[in-house]
Order: sequence, then C-alpha cells, then structure tokens
Amino acid sequence: MQLRRQPLPAPRPGDPYPAAPLLALLLLLALQGAAAAPAGSGEPEDSGWRQDAEPPRGLLSQAARAALHFFNFRASSPSALRVLAEVQEGRAWINQKKEYKVDLVFTTELYNPEEGKEHLGKCSARVFFRNEKPRPAINITCTRLIEKKTRQEEDYQLYKYMKQLKNLLDVVSIPDSHGHIDPSLRPIWDLAFLGSSYVMWEKTTQFLHYYMAQLSSVKQWKTNEDAIDFDYTVLLHEFSTQEMIPCHIHVVWYPGKPLKVKYHCQELQTPEEASGTEEASAVAPTELSNF
Amino acid sequence: MQGLLILSVLLGAVLGKEDFVGHQVLRISAADEAQVQMVKELEDLEHLQLDFWRGPAQPGSPIDVRVPFPSIQAVKVFLEARGLRYTIMIEDVQSLLDDEQEQMFASRSRARSTNTFNYATYHTLEEIYDFMDLLAAEHPQLVSKLQIGSSYEGRPIYVLKFSTGGNNRPAIWIDTGIHSREWVTQASGVWFAKKIAQDYGQDPAFTAILDNMDIFLEIVTNPDGFAFTHSKNRMWRKTRSLTSGSTCIGVDPNRNWDAGFGKAGSSSNPCSETYRGKFANSEVEVKSIVDFVKEHGNIKAFISIHSYSQLLLYPFGYKRESPADKDELDQVAKSAVEALASLYGTKFKYGSIITTIYQASGGTIDWTYDQGIKYSFTFELRDTGRYGFLLPASQIIPTAQETWLALLTIMEHTLNHPY
Repeated sequence: MQLRRQPLPAPRPGDPYPAAPLLALLLLLALQGAAAAPAGSGEPEDSGWRQDAEPPRGLLSQAARAALHFFNFRASSPSALRVLAEVQEGRAWINQKKEYKVDLVFTTELYNPEEGKEHLGKCSARVFFRNEKPRPAINITCTRLIEKKTRQEEDYQLYKYMKQLKNLLDVVSIPDSHGHIDPSLRPIWDLAFLGSSYVMWEKTTQFLHYYMAQLSSVKQWKTNEDAIDFDYTVLLHEFSTQEMIPCHIHVVWYPGKPLKVKYHCQELQTPEEASGTEEASAVAPTELSNF
Repeated sequence: MQGLLILSVLLGAVLGKEDFVGHQVLRISAADEAQVQMVKELEDLEHLQLDFWRGPAQPGSPIDVRVPFPSIQAVKVFLEARGLRYTIMIEDVQSLLDDEQEQMFASRSRARSTNTFNYATYHTLEEIYDFMDLLAAEHPQLVSKLQIGSSYEGRPIYVLKFSTGGNNRPAIWIDTGIHSREWVTQASGVWFAKKIAQDYGQDPAFTAILDNMDIFLEIVTNPDGFAFTHSKNRMWRKTRSLTSGSTCIGVDPNRNWDAGFGKAGSSSNPCSETYRGKFANSEVEVKSIVDFVKEHGNIKAFISIHSYSQLLLYPFGYKRESPADKDELDQVAKSAVEALASLYGTKFKYGSIITTIYQASGGTIDWTYDQGIKYSFTFELRDTGRYGFLLPASQIIPTAQETWLALLTIMEHTLNHPY
C-alpha cells in the first residue's frame, strides 16, 4: 500500500476557532486543496449520494474515530497522539450500496494530557465507509496542537529513552488488572497505541469501532539498528459486539519517518451488521501490512 | 484417632509447601549457538533437578534457572568450565518468598472496620463479601444482608438492604458488576454502601429519602464472572455457565432478560460476548433478581450500573419505539448528568439505549420498565476509552462520588413523584 501524503493547509492567522460559516468555507477549501482522491475511486460527488438527514446517531463519532486513528498513524508521532473530544458538526450521505460519506468537524485532546494544560485541537475530515474496501478512506486536516519543533524534540527524547530499554520480554499486561501503567513503561504503551492506530483505522466501519484495551505481551524489542523494532500483542475491544480481539502487531519506528506496521488479528466471529442471528464461523486470521 | 492422624499427614503432604532454602536463581548468557547447546546439555542432567524459568532458546536471550542447594556447586563448575557467563539473580529463593508473604499479608490484611477499608483500590470477591458483613455489623439498625440466590458455580448472591423501618416500603434498586470485567462498578458499589450508611442522619436530603424508601444494593451481581476476572481472565464479561453442545462458556447476563428476548441485538452464538442464552432467565444470576423484584412488588426505581462510555440510558434497547414516559425519563436523565458533571466536569451523554449506544435485546432495564418500574436507568461509568475496563484505581473514588450525585437526583425524583 502506498502511503498517501497530504499537505496540511497553513493554519489561519488570528482566530483559531472560526465561526460555523467560515468553518464550512474552510472545509470546502481544504477538500479542494487536498491531494489525490481515496485509493481506487474518483470523488463520487454525484454518483448516487443522497444526503442522510438523520444519520444513525453513532455514525459521526465512528467517522471521527476512524479519522483520528488514520491521523495518528500518519503523524507517526508517539508524543503527539490525539483522542476524540467532541463531534461538533457533521453531515452524512448514503448511496444505493448503503455506503456512507461523512463530513465532520470535531475537537481533539492530547492522548497524554499534561497537568493543568488544556490542549484542544480542531479537525475537519471527510470519511468514506465503503463495503468492499479494506479500510475507510479519509481526508483529514487538524489545527496544530503542539509546535512542530517541540514534537520532534519530544519524539527524539522518547526514541533515545527507548533505545536504552532492556528486558522488555517479561512485560505482560499493560495496564495491569488495576489499570496501572508503570511510568517507565508508558512510552512502550504509546508506541503500541501508535501501531494499533493503523490496525484500528483499517478495521473501523460504520458499525464497528475499537479501543486498545491492553498490551498483553512484548514478543520482541530490538534497538540495535537505528529504528525501534517492536513486536507485540494487544487486545482490541470492539464496542458493538463487546468482543476482545487479540492482535499481533509488528512496528518499526524512527522519529520523523512514517511508521511501518504489519499485523495479524483474530477475526471477529460475527458479521458486521448489528447482531441478530449469526453462524459460528471459523477464526480466520487476516494478515495485512504496509511494508 | 488413627484416621485423624493419617488425614493430617495427607493434608500436610497436599498443603505442604516445598522448601527453597538455599536455592539460587542464576541468569546465564549464551553468546552463541554453541553455548545455547551447552545449556541444553545441562538441562538434560535430570539428577540436578533444575527448574528452568526461562529455557535456552537463542543466543542473546537470557536463560533463567532455579538451582536447588545441593546442585549449586556442580552447576557453577559446569558453567565456569565452559566459559558460560552467569549472574546470581536470587541469592536465596526461600528468603525472597518469606519477604513476599509478609508483604502480601501486610497489604491485604483484612480491614477490621469499614473505616479502615481501602476504597481506592480494587478488591477480591472475598474482600467485598467481608466488607458487607462488617457494614451490616456496624449498622445493624440500618443495614442487613440478604441472599437472593446462588450463582451457577454455587457462590452466594447477596443484596444489601438499607431500611429505616416500615413494611415493604417503596424501594430503589441499584446493581453493579453484572458484567464482571467492569471493575469500577463493583468498586463504586462498595463506596455507595458506605456512603449510604454514613450519610443517613447526617445529610438532610438523603435522610428524607431513606426515611420514606428502602434501598437495595447488589454489589457483585455476577460473582462467578468476577472471581474469574481475578483468577484467570481480567476481560471476562459473561456468567460462567456451561452451554450444552458448545465448548464456549457463559451467557451475557444483560441479554438474558425477558424483554425482546431473542430479537436483534443479541447473539445466538455461545462463543459470542453477547450470547443471550438458551432461553430468557436461563441464568440463575438473572432469575434471582427477577424473582426478588416480582416478590417485592414495590420497587419504584431500578438502576443497573456498567462501564465504560459515560452514558446515562433509559429504555428501550430492543425496539425503536419510545417508552410512554420518555419525556420525563429524558428530563430526569438530563438533571442527573448535570449533577454528575458538577463535581469534576465529567461529561455524560444521555438518551435511550437504542439511539445512544446500540440495539440490545433482552436487557435488564427494558424488562424492569415493562414490569412497571418507571424509573429504570442504566449507567455506563468512566471512561470513554483511554483505559476502558482497566480504569486506574485512583479514579474509583472520584467516579463513585460523581455517580452518587446522579443517583441522588434519580432517588429524589422518585421520592417526590410517587406512583
């Protein structure tokens, strides 16, 4: 898979939170200025999309989460991870194949909030939930939460710290049963979350969304070459089915470079639609990667 | 007499712990494949009775081995003769074990009163059951412990009753821990129990509630599941009942109620986390509550507590149709989440189950509402996904405190709107 790179439009000077009409304009401009259309299709502005006046209540949040997972993955920066704060506005279109196109604006917080400091970013995104494609197609731009130089410096500090970590093979269950993460292991959790973001981006649909519940084991932690080579297993919690999905993830990270991810998750036993009756299916592993 | 002697010897053998005095744990570094092979040879020397905690695998991976005292000399000679580097990780295994025992005993020593009980940590089933007995003993006029049934695996199912008298007064029901992995809920339940006992007679608004109504609090609604989250799988959600014809265990107790049972919103697959069970009320944990509610006949508010997502929900989950009391329930929910947010700013959303979270059939509050219990609510406590079920223990008390304000709102409304 080729990584799509999209130039971020420069933040507007002055008011970081333009009023709604201005925001709509910004969204329009951002979308027009965005790079190549989602893989495999042209912009389907007029191919059977009709506006869904009452989108399913969760749809906007699902779209926001998918967009954020993609954003975090693309940023490849464990010190600048974001989580969803609030969806502010959104519109959805549906086509005959029951696929969704969602435009939305939402606010974000830092995944690792600093005491006393409120960092609230704003993002606008367009998300396509397609039936056959392996992952939702995303265009997203966000206001900057941290100075680029600060972020790069923090990533580099993390990298230096990680390079001298040893004996991680006995790490099991982060957080532990009581929700505790040893501060010395927090960077491992963050890197694991970054890798999981790629997986969660790929797996999020209009019906399914995920959280990283636990880092269950470290299979390998190599730092002898330049990059951090991290092989681990996580439990992903899928919300609508309440299932815990074990995934084996392998990431290669170097500050400033795009994250490389390979993964293999146990498939969900139930089909995607809101569960009614389902057949018990064999567990089929899916192996996907970007390197 | 002789029988007793034999029994005690057998017991001694069974319970008798091995002695590790003088045992050492060595960490061996094998620099290359040849050295790994040498350690494998060592492994084969059975008479040494070596216990490899981390066996020889590939060069570079540490090899940890517990060496019984009589073999220490021989092992060190073996390693040194072959140039295998090692360090002594544990000088004396037994003294380490003795220290550990001491520590464990110190930190988990039983609280002798509910005033010394640690509310800011997660507890085992036994500790919570002990807590209930302590509370009932400290407040015999207010608190009593009822057993409403036994779990699938035979554990007692307890409900605490808080009452200042009367005869079958209108009552409020609160349950926590129906899904065993949602640990902040049982922990909050323990805190609520203490809060109730503390505030009665102290807080005028709450005293008025308890002077007119009873409160029933079931803290560990799924004891088998809860025990399992401690012993084997922290992420266990369902009951632990066996399903004939399947190797998968457990039924989702929040899909097993007789409200839209079997409809879309639950699974027929026993391996699924939302498996509904073979029929409604198949789970004794659910049936016990059903029987209690029907027998009591005067419950006016029913609140079932889950985590996570930060939501306050009212019926229905199994159908889109609004409950007749939708407007009132929505208003109450709105006030309750405002009260909750007033403490730490924690934001909750609210609405019906089906429009706010997902379609779910066979759910608790759909059944209780259909039974005529108007004020039927489900909470989803902290957080919104950062930690999920593994909420840090430091958040237990803040979560319980803010949730309590929402509960008070609902209880007050129930008191002031008799029906």
